[in-house]
Amino acid sequence: MGISDNQSGPFDCNRRDFLKSGSFATLMTMMGGVELFAQPEAPAESSASVANFKIAVIGLGVWGREIVDTLAQLPQADIAAICDVYAPALRRAAKDAPNAKQTSDYKTILETKEITAVVVATPTHQHKEVALAALKAGKHVYCETPLANTIEDAREIAFAAKAAKQQVFQSGLQMRADPQSYFLLPFIRSGALGQIVMARAQWHKKTSWRATASTPEREQALNWRLSKATSLGLVGEVGTNQIDLTGWFLNSNPVAVTGFGSILFYKDGRDVPDTVQALIEYPGGVMLTYNATLANSFDAEYQMLYGSDAAIMMRESKAWMFKEVDSPLLGWEVYARKESFGKETGIALVADASKGAIAGQKEKAPKPFTGTPLSFALSAFMKRSAAVDDFVSGFGSDDPAALQTSLSNAHLSPAAGYLEGFHAAVTAVKANEAVNTGQRIVMKPEWYHLD
Amino acid sequence: MNKGPWIAGTIALCALLTASSRGADSMTRFNAAPGSGMKIRLEGTSTMHDWQAEGPIISGFLEVGPGFPMTPGQTVTLGKVEARAEAAIPVRSIKSIEKNGSPYSDKMDEVMWKHLKAPPNSRISFRLDELVLKELPKSNDAPYVFDATGQLAVAGVTNKVSFTVNVTPLSDQKLKVAGATTIKMSDFQVEAVNLLGIKTGDEVKLSFVWPLAQKKPAEANTSK
Repeated sequence: MGISDNQSGPFDCNRRDFLKSGSFATLMTMMGGVELFAQPEAPAESSASVANFKIAVIGLGVWGREIVDTLAQLPQADIAAICDVYAPALRRAAKDAPNAKQTSDYKTILETKEITAVVVATPTHQHKEVALAALKAGKHVYCETPLANTIEDAREIAFAAKAAKQQVFQSGLQMRADPQSYFLLPFIRSGALGQIVMARAQWHKKTSWRATASTPEREQALNWRLSKATSLGLVGEVGTNQIDLTGWFLNSNPVAVTGFGSILFYKDGRDVPDTVQALIEYPGGVMLTYNATLANSFDAEYQMLYGSDAAIMMRESKAWMFKEVDSPLLGWEVYARKESFGKETGIALVADASKGAIAGQKEKAPKPFTGTPLSFALSAFMKRSAAVDDFVSGFGSDDPAALQTSLSNAHLSPAAGYLEGFHAAVTAVKANEAVNTGQRIVMKPEWYHLD
Repeated sequence: MNKGPWIAGTIALCALLTASSRGADSMTRFNAAPGSGMKIRLEGTSTMHDWQAEGPIISGFLEVGPGFPMTPGQTVTLGKVEARAEAAIPVRSIKSIEKNGSPYSDKMDEVMWKHLKAPPNSRISFRLDELVLKELPKSNDAPYVFDATGQLAVAGVTNKVSFTVNVTPLSDQKLKVAGATTIKMSDFQVEAVNLLGIKTGDEVKLSFVWPLAQKKPAEANTSK
């Protein structure tokens, strides 16, 4: 499942408040950071419901409930049904979707014609059964990431999605739908950072992942993440988003993965490491170092991309660019918010410059996006699904090529499809295997093929 | 028994049926051809800046009689032509865009759809009443220029509209229909967006490009 930095928790709230305060932004600016803003949202009046898209959520664990909560805030979403085999989870999710039909059997959702789309947020090892059934039932499917805990299952899902030409399949790689990400993409791919030399990503959060339940069977089911039989561990269940983002920016799948993992703190019978390090190798020698731990929260979640001309830091849908002093001026800088520091722009460390920078921020800074990556991903999914439905309703389903042309002209936001989800799953599976064995695994190109 | 009226009525009925069948046989149907440059575009103003929105879906059909130009350079006569047409645009397919065509704002889309009262009025629709050829093309690939009059339904309100339509017959039994008109949203009881003193203008320009392809008789179907 994808993990968002908006996941609830009292410690995280305090840290988020700190990060959003001017002090952090000022610190970054004083370090020579130039804050990069994607285009701000146009102001809009609050709208009464314009719900016209019936969607269901299957799987109501922590992340499934986050999805329900997010959908409840999207006006175009009509949460028609929610599903989980665990009654307490159903009750909790129903608070955000009081009008949704509650069921423990996902098949009843698939049989409901009015529900055109489903979100699959079950435990990873259960994605295949639900996703395949949903595609067979003619639904548009948003399947959380990683797609599956084996390459074979992920391939089976991807094949089915590929064959469903009148249906949308979107992978839960939510960062790909984040406007901040695809705002950065052309900068990075254009060579604005110079020669990219390395990348870094981390996810730190002190949490046990363990849940309690009234019966041993239920407890085992709830704690699927703690067992190697069902979980891809930190690098697969959490790291998949950050690792995929790096690969997206570098426009490449990894060529090798190396991993290490240990149970250092939660010695409670789990066999999934609570602390991992992974080295993801890309073509040309560029490496991503990935750290994740359940035992410490310092510095939370962020990722970096380092180049010979500049580095980019991405944190909570914001980004800062740190230029090297000898880097050339490039056209992309016209899009970046400039920080005035005396006669310099954005780099020099001058005593009075911070005040000037703050004043400049208040007057000129465009408002950053207020949506979450998850909200952008779900919104993109519903818009694309609605576009497909409108096309089929107006013209029938005999011309897949015309459908694709229409979709390309429909001004839809980008998002990760089945192929991106499949590639990310392959990487996640092998990275987790590397962590569990402490070995370097050379990635075979054919693993990424869907032939 | 006076058989006169009965005979006259039968003759009249036969004439009517004959005319109807001849009319049906002589009409040629073109269905909307998706994925080939189809577009509806809205342009408006506000006290802050101009705005624009586009959608890629205009479903429907055009049925035309023998006096309608269906091939490039076809000789036809100016004046009224026999034609029927219906078109429908899903409101949620219309999205706000920047001047360069990139998506503008999801929130603005939602506001726009809300003001267009979708749902429940999920479609903008048009039904043609009359089509009059007023200008012949100056070259083989230039359009035939028509005056079109019909019923436009927006946000559940229907008004009669008239506008100029350019019809360009293409090879392979296809047509390109394009046109534009300016409407007042108040005529359709659509309220202006009014946010923090920024208000949209009442006039909105509607323009469209509608590619059509002739369907063989076995494939002809009704619009949805």
